[in-house]
Amino acid sequence: MKTASFWREFTKGIVISNPLFVLVLGLCPALAVSTSVDNALGMSVGVTFVLLGSNIIISAIRKIIPNMVRIPIFIVVIATFVTIVNLVFHAYVPSLYESLGIYLPLIVVNCIILGRAEAFASKNPLLHSIADALGISIGFMLALLIISFLRETLGTGSLSIFGARLFTLPILGEHPMAVFVLPPGAFLLMGLLLALLRRLGVIKSE
Amino acid sequence: MKATLKKIFPVIFVTVVVFMAVALLSWTNSITKDKIEFQEEQQIQSMLGEMFPDMSRYAFEDDIYTIYSDEAQLGYAFLALGKGYGGNINILVGLENETTIKGISIISQTETPGLGARVSETSFVGEFAGLSIDDVALRQDGGQIDAITGATISSGAVVDAVKATAVERVKSLQEKE
Repeated sequence: MKTASFWREFTKGIVISNPLFVLVLGLCPALAVSTSVDNALGMSVGVTFVLLGSNIIISAIRKIIPNMVRIPIFIVVIATFVTIVNLVFHAYVPSLYESLGIYLPLIVVNCIILGRAEAFASKNPLLHSIADALGISIGFMLALLIISFLRETLGTGSLSIFGARLFTLPILGEHPMAVFVLPPGAFLLMGLLLALLRRLGVIKSE
Repeated sequence: MKATLKKIFPVIFVTVVVFMAVALLSWTNSITKDKIEFQEEQQIQSMLGEMFPDMSRYAFEDDIYTIYSDEAQLGYAFLALGKGYGGNINILVGLENETTIKGISIISQTETPGLGARVSETSFVGEFAGLSIDDVALRQDGGQIDAITGATISSGAVVDAVKATAVERVKSLQEKE
């Protein structure tokens, strides 16, 4: 019974309440850093760490948080984890730190994280909150990988991961559709993906 | 008594949480601080090495790096700060002598990805190599540098910072002689 519900909380974040494709939360950082697969992976690792940390802390202290100051507490907890990610990335993966730029500190205002704190971690036991954080993070990562894969291959005509060129497309390699790397392309692609996923029945409207 | 306690409990709670957050952060900072400084130094060092392939050592004094090979002095380098479209652009500028640019590298920037951020690319920074300091200006202003399409502000910020800082540093070099 217990493992079953743990599993349910874990899997729901991946498809049925995927943060990007179903809840459509955290669009700003997601669309901004999905220009390359490298950035998408880095962003996902950052978000996973922050979400896991904040869900654990908030779930652990949920019974003693005074209701009237809960949002400031959530923000302090989240901001602390974001600053840790920021410092650690700067110290150990400087190239990633550079390419994520301003979007790394902006995880603070990513509504996925505050959303999970308010809607889930502050109401559910520790173990479930961990499952929720992991599931949502994986859902976020998958969605981001899909978007960034399409944006990088269409927008630059090639794909490289951690500096290693994987492939270059024949015609697109010489004439890439740069619009997909730019912000309008991100919205365009996001809209098309949402429509497609809905048409295929992968995600359902409530 | 109990009512007052209930009233001030949220205040105490927030204070305690904030203190714990601060403690955790200063601990993280103390661990990562040296590493971050080391990274930044490494980055400048490797950029200097790329700019001056024969470099064997350098000296840093009065904001100017003087680059030496085993036998001779190769040139100078210094940092310049451009005011870009999305924040500061940190630039490392190398000088071959007191009139000619050896090359420039972008250390960090927060320009628009795909547009202004392209100031980091070789196609743009490469334009500076071998130019006389007097020719460092956008082509539309009578210089030798082609601005990046759609990113005139970012391009201009780099050009202005390189030129202004170069003029200043060369002046201080000449005063020293």
